[in-house]
Amino acid sequence: MEKSKTPLLDELEKGKWPSFVTDMKQAAQKSPMAEDLLSQLELSYKDKIGHWKHGGIVGVKGYGGGVIGRYSDRPDLFPNVQAFHTMRINHPTGWFYKTDALRNLCDVWDKHGSGLTNMHGSTGDAILLGTTTEHIQPCFDDLSAAGFDLGGSGSALRTPSACVGPGRCEWACIDSLDVCYNLTMEFQDKIHRPMFPYKFKIKVSACPNDCVASIARSDFSIIGTWKGKILINPAEVTAYASSDLDIQKEVCDLCPTKCMEWDSKELKIHDEDCTRCMHCINLMPKALRPGKEKGATILVGGKAPIVEGALLSWVIVPFIKLEPPYTELKELIERIQDWWDENAKSRERLGELIKRLGMRVFLRGVGLPAVPQMVKAPRSNPYVFFWPEDIKQEVK
Amino acid sequence: MSEELKKRITDLFHEKSKGDKKMFYIRDVTKWLPDEDRHAIQNAVKVLLDEEVLVYWSSGSSSYIMLPEFFPKEEGTCS
Repeated sequence: MEKSKTPLLDELEKGKWPSFVTDMKQAAQKSPMAEDLLSQLELSYKDKIGHWKHGGIVGVKGYGGGVIGRYSDRPDLFPNVQAFHTMRINHPTGWFYKTDALRNLCDVWDKHGSGLTNMHGSTGDAILLGTTTEHIQPCFDDLSAAGFDLGGSGSALRTPSACVGPGRCEWACIDSLDVCYNLTMEFQDKIHRPMFPYKFKIKVSACPNDCVASIARSDFSIIGTWKGKILINPAEVTAYASSDLDIQKEVCDLCPTKCMEWDSKELKIHDEDCTRCMHCINLMPKALRPGKEKGATILVGGKAPIVEGALLSWVIVPFIKLEPPYTELKELIERIQDWWDENAKSRERLGELIKRLGMRVFLRGVGLPAVPQMVKAPRSNPYVFFWPEDIKQEVK
Repeated sequence: MSEELKKRITDLFHEKSKGDKKMFYIRDVTKWLPDEDRHAIQNAVKVLLDEEVLVYWSSGSSSYIMLPEFFPKEEGTCS
């Protein structure tokens, strides 16, 4: 039997999950780039060091982002990946593709790149892995002809993303798809021409289940919610009670604010204590539904660990009606980005800046009032919101 | 767009690039010109980028701006 050229990578095919190594081997049968990529990755596992040099080239004519430069530090061994740039393609909102669009995308990438893709990256974009410098512009031209555009990279507004929303989900409180598309079109210049201190991410979830994890991953989170009472269908509650579901144990006892009561006949919800965790609605979808008055909660400051540590978003607008053309929302985003752009240090995210300067400075800067829903956690000191002159005035 | 502002920015890039540092954040540029409006500086830099008097360089997560002559040669030309 012929000895494998990639014994270390072969180990990654032995688990029970699909393996990216298997996919790369398949691509390597027709792509010399994919073949060299495999060999370089094998060397990286052997040397216990990455063999890429990142950075450099940024985009196509008129763009300052969307392409991430990558070069091999061993072009002598792997000439086909001497340049192996990534192209970020703005995905369709909610990741809805028609098959012909996907075929077009793959045909363009087979023509200009390695054929390898990452569908999708954590920002949401369709990631096309591996092309050469001379192919970037022709690839972009072909993608444009097929109706695609580059996404954001670098110190720019990153490609906004949204959950599938009303396209497929009965709990959608806002049209996350329309909001996301509107913001993407409105802020094209900020996506394609980096002028910010660092990256800025907008994510839209249509209900508090937050399927795009906007609260943890975006500087500006838009999460659908409702005002008023959760709608209860008593007949369906009875049907759940007579099924396998133990309403007391599995629903009421697991409610984080204990705002539900069940006496084996009637389910009562103290809606004023509900924090929209969605647990009860997720468990009893036929019996419970979000309330009638729908809108969104706006939060800011979420981010992953780099540079200062991970942050969850903080509520700044407890409830806002979201209807086209979303003027109030767009103006709020502009004010927040402008305040951040003016005050942030290089590579400082919005959440880090708010942490450094304080929420009250942020609220004054963007013209928002302090409200009780902004208290970040139980037993937090709400006086962080008050200016010394406000406290003096109150004491008098 | 003020031609004078564009010239000031270009001259500053030449002056600052005499040191070891060749790549700059947009924040560096606004700090060089504290008397100018931040938005006006950003707009002027955008025009200079369009005119290829300046070019972007990106690490992927952060963007930098520099004079084209200092763009690393082995990395090919910047579009």
